Formats: sequence, structure tokens, C-alpha cells
Amino acid sequence: MAAADSPSAALRRDLCSRGIRLAGKMRADVVDLLDAYVEQQGLDASASVAAVEGLPLAAVERWDEQTGTQRLLENLAAYRAFRALLAQMLEEQREQLGEADAGLGRALAAVLLQVSAFAYHLEELLRLESRGIPGEEEEEEDGPPPPPRLSLFEQKLRGLGVLRELAQWAVRSVRDLRQLAKPSPATGVAPGLAESP
Amino acid sequence: LGDPQNLKCVTHNLHKILCTWDISSTGGHGQTDFCYTTNDLTPQVCFKTKERRVEIPIPEGSTTVTIKSSGTAFPTKEFVIHQKDISFVPVTPRILSLMPDFPTSTINLKWNDNGSVFPYGLDALWQIQILRKEATEVVTQVTYYSKLTHEDVILSWNWTSDMPLECTSHYVKIRCYINATQFVGHKDWSDWSSVEVIPGKDTEPGGSGVFPLDPVVAVGSDLTFCCVHEEDQRITNMTYGSKSYTMMQLSSRSHAIRVLNASVSNSSGTNVVCRLENGLEGSVVFVGYAPDTPQNLSCETSNFLTIKCTWKPGRPSGLYGERRTKYSLFERTSGKNVSCEVNEVSKDHVCGFPVLPDQETYDFILGVFNPIGQAQSSLFVDITQRVHPKTPEKLTVTGNNSTSIQLRWFINGSFAEVRLLCQIEISSSHSERKVHNVSVPGRKSSTYTAQLNALHPDTKYQFRVRCSAADHFWRWSDWSRGVEQTTSEA
Repeated sequence: MAAADSPSAALRRDLCSRGIRLAGKMRADVVDLLDAYVEQQGLDASASVAAVEGLPLAAVERWDEQTGTQRLLENLAAYRAFRALLAQMLEEQREQLGEADAGLGRALAAVLLQVSAFAYHLEELLRLESRGIPGEEEEEEDGPPPPPRLSLFEQKLRGLGVLRELAQWAVRSVRDLRQLAKPSPATGVAPGLAESP
Repeated sequence: LGDPQNLKCVTHNLHKILCTWDISSTGGHGQTDFCYTTNDLTPQVCFKTKERRVEIPIPEGSTTVTIKSSGTAFPTKEFVIHQKDISFVPVTPRILSLMPDFPTSTINLKWNDNGSVFPYGLDALWQIQILRKEATEVVTQVTYYSKLTHEDVILSWNWTSDMPLECTSHYVKIRCYINATQFVGHKDWSDWSSVEVIPGKDTEPGGSGVFPLDPVVAVGSDLTFCCVHEEDQRITNMTYGSKSYTMMQLSSRSHAIRVLNASVSNSSGTNVVCRLENGLEGSVVFVGYAPDTPQNLSCETSNFLTIKCTWKPGRPSGLYGERRTKYSLFERTSGKNVSCEVNEVSKDHVCGFPVLPDQETYDFILGVFNPIGQAQSSLFVDITQRVHPKTPEKLTVTGNNSTSIQLRWFINGSFAEVRLLCQIEISSSHSERKVHNVSVPGRKSSTYTAQLNALHPDTKYQFRVRCSAADHFWRWSDWSRGVEQTTSEA
């Protein structure tokens, strides 16, 4: 018989499953946004995009060896980075298009909102485990210097790269959160973050 | 030494002639005795030279020259040089400066016309050649005309390239021809100047990209885009929008495409993409229209605090965001300028200008500009004749008896400058709708009253009011909300 869940384990599992739903919805919206973005910007969907400065990569080696804390901290850092990248995209969008394509601007703002909400959700999970949450200030202090002024085409490609990677991250986040929600084989209780691979 | 022959004389400045000759047999360069006379009246001038060239004054008609190899038995050789035998080849011009202006793809050339050397008023022709491909391909040759003024004048000439100057190196050289009508000898072009160059990005290490970068151009333009890449990179293709174009090779590191009669781009611009073996380079071009002259410019005030101007913008420019068409309202009398916040997508174009103290007439210029062009409209207006009050508010009944009713209403705005004409519409179930006009002195953000008489007792009436300027009618305000009142019984 499975041991009764401790209240924090039940809360964590609930947060994880809500996070999974958030990430799934975010991914669907990012994919839609990507299609609209490619069309609106006149890009070739298969265009290769050079490395984008400050873009967190979803691909990770030895994913299954990561502890729960590592997963959450990497996710949190990534979505904070995406929040900054999307905010910059939105600013550039307004600068370049003004009122011309409000639809794309709104979709971009909606995804930015979801990314912010997801980042907050990750902080909740870390707080649950009384894990210190890296303050934004700490990150901003030694955060990347403002990117060099890109040409408009480079801005378009960077936007493409950001949205593509964000879609990948949403997939990874779902896997990470599922991993966190898994009960540990021995106790049948979801392990603390530190131990869970 | 030997017998002097093939005497040739040329002048570069119409003052002196430079004569050269050959010696029939080889041998060392011994001394030569050279004598000349310019005319019969002046004594012969002689001197020794080791050179086979001498510079002597240009003869009016002709001059006699004798050349003798010093210390030899060779006889003195005499030549008569007529002006017609002399060639006039102007001094080779020298380019003083060659300055590129990359944003406009324009080259500015400056050179000295050496006018001080020549008599006043001569016509000079300057041939200027622009070349590419290591100065092997002439892109254009232009003839520039000037008049010499017996002073050295710096001449300046601009040339706009059909492609960005970054695309490849541009070379320039110049030569001149002076139409010395008095000179009877053969006249010829000068030599070409030395070549000056504006290096392209394809000569810079690491210089790569598509040019022009993010330009804004007019619909219908013919455009040349180039892709500058590294020597070892193979270029796959260049597309403009979704269409691939035939490439022209400018150099080993630069290829170009030519797009004719560009059509308006969408809001995010048209991408010009250069696909290389291991990467992309690109530019975004915004193709739009210069602003139309604003039509139906009209200005009015609803409150004597702000003047509201409206206009019809004409054809949309197709440009958005930071490239959108911008408007500013300039008032000549006060010199005040206001920039207008106009949303490029919305239909209504409105701009507010503050009513200035002690100023009733306004001489407006509405300026319109975007990166492609500009336009303007003007309007002279006396705002006391352009009063369009706001909708009267808070229409209330303040008193009534069986045959009369008092109404009160409020109008936002300060109308102390004018009289107001207000119309009260009276309707009731059993009589026709009537209108009662009342003229009231305007006041600052105030309430106004009117009394309606000759009403029927015990009758339900509906009232509403609108106002305008009493003198110089311009426009009625909108009707106020209605109010209902029944007169008391008789």
C-alpha cells in the first residue's frame, strides 16, 4: 500500500501538474505564434539561425542525471532569460510596426505573460522546498550587457530563434516536471528535490 | 651626338611651350646650344642644355629655333615653329578629394581647375569616369562644363551610384579639355588623372552583409542589392521577398541582384536574403509612398482652450512604426510648433494646438513627412469663427408653471470671447416639434438658462438643447440628452 503523501509532497505534485498544464498551453501558443511570426516577418520557416546571444538552450546532456533542484533552477533561469528576450522582441515589434500588426504584438505579449507566470510557478516550487531562489538582481548584475544593435533582418532571425527555442523549452519543462512529480520507487512518495534524479 | 630632328612642341598652359627633339645618331649626352627668337624685334636668346627638351615662351605667330651640338662639327639646325604646329594639352587635373556618402550612395569629387594659368573666360570640359572591377569596367562617363576665371577654383561634382557604395570599390579619374579659341594649334584632352578609389566592403577583412541595410525607398524604385561575403564562402542564391533573382558578380566577394519597379512592402518590410553555404545574410527593405498633401485641413475649437485640426491624409504610405508618416503643426504668427500623435492605422487624423493668449487668428502649416518625402498644407483661420461647442450637459428643469418652463444646462469650455446661440427643441405628444432659439453671452465653463413660455398646461414636454457661436456660425454642437417635464395644471 502506498504510504500516505505528506502535505508538501501532495502540494508539490499539484504544483507540478499545474506546471505541466501551463507548459503545455504555452507550447501550443508558442507554436501558433511562431507560424504567425514567420509569415508576418516574411521569413523562411526552415531558415537557419545563428547562435542568439543570451538564448538558453533546451538541449541538455545527461538529462536523466539532473537533480530536481538543478531542473528547477535551470528552468527558472531559462524562463527569466526568455522573459527578457520576449520583452525586447515586443519593444522592437512596437518600434518597427507601431500599430500596423497589433495581432502579432498581442500574441507576443500573451506568450510573454505565460512565460512570466511559468517563471513564478517555478519559484513557487523552489520555495516549497525552501530552496533559495536566485534573485533577479543577482542575475541582472552580472547579466549579459545589452546586445549590440542588430540589423532588422538579424532581429527577425533572432526572434525566430527565440521562439523556436522557447517551444523546445516548453517540451523539456513538461518532461522535467513529470520527472519531479514521479514518486520515488522505494517509498512511493515523491522524493525531495535534492534526491530526485 | 648628331643632327637634331623631330622637334615637337606642346603647351600645357598657353604661356610656355615645351619642345623636345631627337638626335640622329646615338652617343653621349653632350651639351647643346639652343637659341630662339620670339619675333624680329627682340634679340635671340641662347642657352646651353644637356636635356633634349627646353621650355620657352609661346610664340604669338612663329618662332625660329636653332639647335647646335656644342663643340662638334655638326652644323646648326634651324627650325621655325608656328603656333599651328604646337599642341595644347592642358595640365593633367589632380583630384583633391573623393568623399563617399554611404547612406545616399553618393560620391563627391573635388578638383582644382588650375584656372589661374589660363586667360579669363575659357570654356573647360571635364570628363569624369566612374569605374568598378579593379578600374577595368567603366560604369559611367560624364562631361562637366565650367568656365575658367583666371583664378584657381575648386570644382565639385556629385554622382549617385545605382548600387550601395559598400557593394564594391568605385574608382574615379578625370581629364580636361580647354576650348582656347584664340589658340590656333592642335587642342587635345589632358592625360587622365591618377585614379582615386572608394573601397567597398568587399575589400575589408570580415566585411560581409547585404547592402543597402534596411533602406526605405519609394514604390516603383529600381533597386540593386548586393551580398558581400568572405572569399571562401560560396553564395547559393539571393532572394527578394519570396522570389529568387539572377546574380551579377561584382567581385570575388560580392554579388548583386537588380529588382525593378519595387512594389509596396508589407508592414514588416520585404526581406532580401543572401543564402551562403554556411549561413544567411539579409536586409529588410521598406517600400512605401511619400506622404500625400493633406486634404480638407480644418481647424476649430470647442472650448477656446485647444484648437483641434483634422485632415484627410490621402494615400496610406505603407510605412509603419519608426518609419511611419509623422505630422507637425506649425503656427507662423507665434512660431509655435506642435508634433502630432497620429496612429498610422486609425482613420482619424487629428492634432491639437493650444489656444494662445490674445491671439484669435492662426496661420497654420501642417507638415507631413516620412523617410521617403514630405508635404504640407496650410490654413489661415480666426478661431472665433470656428467655434464648435461641446455637447451641452446636465440639462435640467429649474422651474415651471402651467405655461412656462425654465431650463438650465452646462457647457464645458470658456466662451467669454463670443456670444452663443442655443437651440432648444420642444416636443410634445400633441403638437409639432418646435425649436426655440436663444442667444446668450458666452462664459467660462458655465451654466446657461432659458425660459420657455406659451406652453400648454398639464402637458408632457421633451426638451433638448444644442449650441453654436452666435456670430460667425460654424457648427452646431451635438444635441444634449433630452429632459422631460409636464407643465402644471392651469
